[in-house]
Amino acid sequence: MLSLLPNNKRKRPLLQICLVGSFGYLSMCALAEDAPNTGLNIHGFISQGVIAVDGSDFVSDENNISPELTELGINASYQLSNTLRVAGQAAYLNGGNRFNEGIRIDYLLLNWSVFNNQNWSTNIYLGRFKNFHWLYSSTRDVPMARPSIILPQSVYFDATRDMSVGGDGIAIKTTYSSESFGDLDINLSSGQSPTSREQTRIIMGRFSDGDLTHDNDFQGSFYYSPSYSNWRFGIATTDADFTYQAGENDSFVEGSLALTRYYANAEYQGEAWTLSAEILQEKIALNDVMYTGFYQKSVGQGGYVQSQYRLNGQLQILTRYEHYWANKNDKNGSKLEANSAGTIPHYFGYQRDFTVGLSLDISSHLKLQIEQHWIKGTARLTPVVIPDPTVNKSEYWQISTLQMTYWF
Amino acid sequence: MSFCVCSLSVQAVEVITHPSVKVNSLTTSQLRRIYSMRQIKWENGTPIVVFVLPSEFKQHQDFCKQTLKIFPYQLDLIWNKLTFSGLGVAPTIVNTSTELLLAVKSTPGAIGYIENVTKEEEINVITITK
Repeated sequence: MLSLLPNNKRKRPLLQICLVGSFGYLSMCALAEDAPNTGLNIHGFISQGVIAVDGSDFVSDENNISPELTELGINASYQLSNTLRVAGQAAYLNGGNRFNEGIRIDYLLLNWSVFNNQNWSTNIYLGRFKNFHWLYSSTRDVPMARPSIILPQSVYFDATRDMSVGGDGIAIKTTYSSESFGDLDINLSSGQSPTSREQTRIIMGRFSDGDLTHDNDFQGSFYYSPSYSNWRFGIATTDADFTYQAGENDSFVEGSLALTRYYANAEYQGEAWTLSAEILQEKIALNDVMYTGFYQKSVGQGGYVQSQYRLNGQLQILTRYEHYWANKNDKNGSKLEANSAGTIPHYFGYQRDFTVGLSLDISSHLKLQIEQHWIKGTARLTPVVIPDPTVNKSEYWQISTLQMTYWF
Repeated sequence: MSFCVCSLSVQAVEVITHPSVKVNSLTTSQLRRIYSMRQIKWENGTPIVVFVLPSEFKQHQDFCKQTLKIFPYQLDLIWNKLTFSGLGVAPTIVNTSTELLLAVKSTPGAIGYIENVTKEEEINVITITK
């Protein structure tokens, strides 16, 4: 990682304490002042955890117990008229190597309720909106609204979080419901996502000195739930283009990256059980970037199956199995190792993760989550473009983590 | 703790609205759309203001399971998603049945639920059909 990081890391515990303290005070004020029916709604969450990774650079380059698991957010929504609403959320995230640490505007949008009756509704969102196309994409940073502390990396790859968390542009959501048909959601969006220098470095590696720009993308999704059914089914697609502008002291050259993803998911919500599955196929085409005239296309595949069992009103058990292949035509990574003359081990070609977790609702606004991941393979570790086997030397690695969340 | 006593009664949870809402009956599916915030306006265009008790209250849980035919955690997931993604606004939570009744009485377009509804003249009681 960047040479500046050790200094920054020394300051982080103090920064986290200050942020957590300030946030606690602000949330108390917000709670005290939040009155119903004024058109103004204020909500937030505050979360701190510890994470230990044994055998990879998923969170930090050193394998130790880290407090780099902080997620804070505060949002406000104000109803301007019967059809217009403004909403925004500011968030502070610290996930170590997983994504860029700092404060960010998570969303800031104008919501126009174009049409709403007993069967149909159409909403247009202008500004910065969250990606609401996958099962957990709109709440991937909101601990109490996702199933686990670390989401399945095949779909919710932390290295590309900034590009997939949302965008600046326009989104349209249309819903249809009827007694006999059930519920249908049609979601479309187009926008750009700001990509920070650190995020570029996370993807490209330490030999990169340039900027990765997310050009306009298109995303769409359909969700369908039959009438009075516990099942819900969804499909989604992403089509995004990126441009790489090389820096002065850069090992890479100017080029482009095209990403096309297809998703399908299904979810069953019963009284005690929730069963979820999500699969994806992604095509990544790299033009130039490595050197002028370079072209590489790879098709990755992955997905997970997950169960959540509610023992009682407070305690929930999670189990999940996930598998991802970086190249569907090289599932054991042997070609990857051969093409790199042995410098990139075969286990960078895949990643599978078996996860168990416990979630305890201490009160209606306080949750404790604990989970353990047993992982084989390193295909979803950073940097992405040129993997780093000097840091990620183990085919087998583990994540142990615990997180406490308060929200209002 | 009055709701605990009420819960011993055989009387089911009743759906109530502000008297300005000129609706006499709703199907379970329509009511579910209102509580999942998919339908946010009444037929005449008035915004629907949804009031609920906290999720851990037995009265809320009974309303979800018996009237809405949905599990309380499912509504919590929908409301958290709306609140923290900016997509919409979740219902207003009030802390007691009395507060809920007062809020529905005094807010045009409001909807809520209550056990042991008496012949309240200032409230509209909705019949729920399958």
